[in-house]
Parts: sequence; C-alpha cells; structure tokens
Amino acid sequence: MPDGATRQSSAARALLPAGLKAAPVWLWRLVVLAALLLLWWAVAVFVGRNFVPTPQATALAALRLIENGTLPNATAQSLAVFFTGYGLAAAVAIPLGLLMGGFRPLGATLDVFVNALAATPRVAFIPLIIVFLGLGFEAKVTIIFLGAVMPILINTYTGVLSSDGELVEMARSTGAGDLAIFRKIMLPGSLRSIVAGLRLGAGIGLISTVVAELYTSVRGLGGLLATYGNTFQMDNYFVVVLAFAAIGALVTQGLRMAESRMDRWQYQEERAS
Amino acid sequence: MAYDARPEGPLGGARDVAPPALRVAGVSKTFRPRDGRDPFTALSDVSLDVSDNTFVSILGPSGCGKTTLLRMMNGLLAPDNGEVLLGGKPPRPGPDVGFVFQSFRLLPWRTIRGNVELGLEETGLSRAERRERALRYLALVGLSRFAESYPHELSGGMKQRVALARALAPEPSVLLMDEPFASLDAQTRELMQMELLRLWERRRGVVVFVTHSVDEAIVLSDRIVLMRSHPGRIAEVLDVDLPRPRWDTDVHTRREFVELRHYLWEQIKAMVLASAEPGLFGSGDAPG
Repeated sequence: MPDGATRQSSAARALLPAGLKAAPVWLWRLVVLAALLLLWWAVAVFVGRNFVPTPQATALAALRLIENGTLPNATAQSLAVFFTGYGLAAAVAIPLGLLMGGFRPLGATLDVFVNALAATPRVAFIPLIIVFLGLGFEAKVTIIFLGAVMPILINTYTGVLSSDGELVEMARSTGAGDLAIFRKIMLPGSLRSIVAGLRLGAGIGLISTVVAELYTSVRGLGGLLATYGNTFQMDNYFVVVLAFAAIGALVTQGLRMAESRMDRWQYQEERAS
Repeated sequence: MAYDARPEGPLGGARDVAPPALRVAGVSKTFRPRDGRDPFTALSDVSLDVSDNTFVSILGPSGCGKTTLLRMMNGLLAPDNGEVLLGGKPPRPGPDVGFVFQSFRLLPWRTIRGNVELGLEETGLSRAERRERALRYLALVGLSRFAESYPHELSGGMKQRVALARALAPEPSVLLMDEPFASLDAQTRELMQMELLRLWERRRGVVVFVTHSVDEAIVLSDRIVLMRSHPGRIAEVLDVDLPRPRWDTDVHTRREFVELRHYLWEQIKAMVLASAEPGLFGSGDAPG
C-alpha cells in the first residue's frame, strides 16, 4: 500500500544523482554546517574582525572560557533557573489544562483569563516581579515560569477539548464512566498536543532565561552576554550565543524524540486517513 | 424497579406469554437545536417487540431515525415519550449491550488485543481473564496473528472485525450494529456479512442491524423493520422466509429473495420520490 509520504520522498530522491541517494540526513547537516561556517568566516573577513570574530577566534575564545570555568559555571546557573522555571510551569500547566478540559465549566470560566494573560507581553511583569521578589533566583524562575506556562496550558487544554467525540461515545457504550473515559480516551488522545506545548514552552522558556538574566541580577549565560556585549569582547560574545543555540537544539531534540515515540501509532494514523 | 406494575397499554395483553427480549413501546424523540432552528422529530410513536435469538434489520431512507432508535436501545439516548425495555429493564450502556459503529472507532494507541480488552474493562473480569477472553474472540474473527499489532496496520475490513470482537467479547445479550459495513468495499462487505452470520449461528441472541442496503437486510435477517422518514416511524415489519444457515449458499438467486427485494425496492423508491424535489427523478414533465 503506497502512501503519500513515501511516494513524495522517493520522487524527491529521484531528482538527485544516484551516488547521493544513499546519503543520510546527518551528512547533509554537516554540509550545511560547513556552508554556514564558510559564510561566517567570509562575513568576518569583509565586515572586520572587531565586529564579527572569525570562527577560529571564536573557537579559541570558547576553549579559554571552558578552561577557566567561566562558561561551565554560567551554563550551570542558566540551566538551573531554566529547568526550575520550566519544570514548575509544566507541573502547574499540565494538571490545570487537564482539569480545564475534563471539567468543562472550569475551562469555560478560566479560558478567557488564560487567553488574556497569554496575549500580554510577559516582559510587562518584570518590574512588578522585581518589586516583589528582588533580583535573585526566585525572580528569574518566576519570569521563566510565566513565559513557559501559557503555551503548555493552552496546548493541554485544547488537546483535551479536541478529543475524539466518536471514541468517547464508543467508550460510553461499553459502560465506561466519566473518569474512565477521561483516563482511557481523553488523556492519551491529548498526549501529542501536550508534548507540542512542552516544546513551545521550552523555546519561550529559553528566551525568558536570557531576558531574566539581562533584566534582573546579571548572571548566567545572559549575564555573560551583557558583559561581553557592553565591553566589545566579540569573540567571547559569540561563544555565548552559540552556547544558547546548542542548548536550544538539545532541549528541542529531546522533546522531538519523545514525540516520535508516540508517532509509532499516531502519526501513521493521520497519514493513513 | 417493579416493571410488572406497568399500566396496561396496547401491548399489555401479551404480558403473560414469554416477555420479548427487547421492547420498544410508543417511543418518540424530538431534537431541539439550540441555535433556534426548527425542532426535528426523529421518531414518532415507534413500537417494536423483538423476541430472543432473533436477527432484526432496520431498513429505511436517511433521516428515518434508524440510528436514533439504535442509540435508545443501549441507553446512550433517552426517549421523550414511551419506553425501551431490555429484558424488562431500561437499557444502560455496558457489557450487556454490544455496539458496533460504522466508523470502526479503535483506539490508535492501543494494540488490537488492548482494543478488544476495552470492551471488557467494565465487566469485573481480572486482567488475565480479560486477556484470555480478548484472544479467544480475536481467534473467532480470525485475527489472532494481529493481537499485538496497532490499528493503523490493519485494513478496513480487519478493523471492523476487531470492533466486532470488541462488541462480542463481553458476551452481550443484545448486539446493536449501526451500518457497520457501509464504509467497506463491496467484496469485503459480503465477506463480513457471511462472517457475521457464521458467528451468529454459533451463539445466537438478539441482533439489531441498521442498514440502508436492501440486499444486506434480506441476507442477514429474520425480520426486517421498514421505516419511513419525516417523522421517523415504522412503515411495515416483514418476515424473511429464507432457510438458515445462509452463509454457505448464495441466497441472492432464490425466488423468495428476489421477490422480497423487489417489494422493498418499490417501497423505498416510493418514499424517496415522495420526499424528493419534483422532476428530480426524470418523470415525464421534466423540462428539456
């Protein structure tokens, strides 16, 4: 049974010369990486090394910052605030979203406020947070929490709301009660949406980490970013930017792997219909 | 509850004979849409008795309330007036009534065995017993090999056999089927009809089978309930005088089949023509 996705990708492969057909994705990623490095190097040469350091200079700076402990320490500080805020956001948003979706009157009451809060720029709360919590760890965690909580909450809620009415009716016909239907149909049905929310929340959480470290006490990777930027240490500055990119890639990749575990059944189901 | 205290109705006289397994008495149902559209009377004064070990088909054009009637028989829906009694009691969704839907409604995240076990989870059976029972019913529908597969790996006919196993596994006294083979291709559909007959010969009980296929209704049933629409009501109840078992011979060529088919076709055609736009079916006065 040939399905759409396979046919499409084999058509795309047919356009390539025979030798390249077998090339795996990671090889192509390396090619793109090399092209980006080349572009970076060219920009550094043309724009001037004071503004954009060369890849070599950045690599040397990275080695130096790792050796003297600056980068590992800052990364540890940033990850600590990120994972605390993000973990709290998930711990609050998933149960609350499930409750709002499972218990309709609660969802109907709260969703206006959730949407209002989601539309407000969270930066607007930072002065307030500083007044209440100061500039330390708690303030940073709160800023990340506020950033990450909304996408997780909204995705969980809509995931439960959009659970398949036909499956719910089927379960009801077997005699299942509300609680059993929630556990057996709604919860597994919304899992994919919850993980998508976690992925969105992780992205916003990382951005919030930088914002928090720039606006409150200058620490962690965000703090290094401010210090190096303000003092024109562009090679060190680039190391920090790359560190952020690496963390973002790792976190999203981890969640994507969790998603593809679920694809075993769900993705195929969508493709088949 | 004491249903013997039910007041004498038009059907009350038959009470001292064996009570019917399934009784529908004077049932009406009107849906009132919340958005202000006109209320829609799905069923109007429908009465029907089905004795045990009988295969009944409900046949009729769309909009005649077939599906509404079926949902009342397992308690998913309550009638406005009248009553539905199953073994003397109002039906409640659960293991005593099996339901097979047109769309197969399998859980994509459960294995085939897990899907069949879902039907058993309200029965009080232990985990091991549920597993054993699910495997037994999967064997009965010929899907033992696929017990640990996922629904997306199966064809439409196989999925519906899983749904059938799920409905049969709790060993219900009544099996309700809502156009179960309508989304299958013609060949699979005939195979599934024979499969259903074979299963039913082994272990009888009441089957109420909703369909809009005249042939399907005749091949499967002991009795055919012909319904008309707007509002949904029973037009006629016919007995099917074809010998059983029917799954090892081709009944389509028998005289009784051909005559009944012709009669039912005429009835349904008349119903459809009466409710259609004038001229739609190319009578003499159609323009051009």
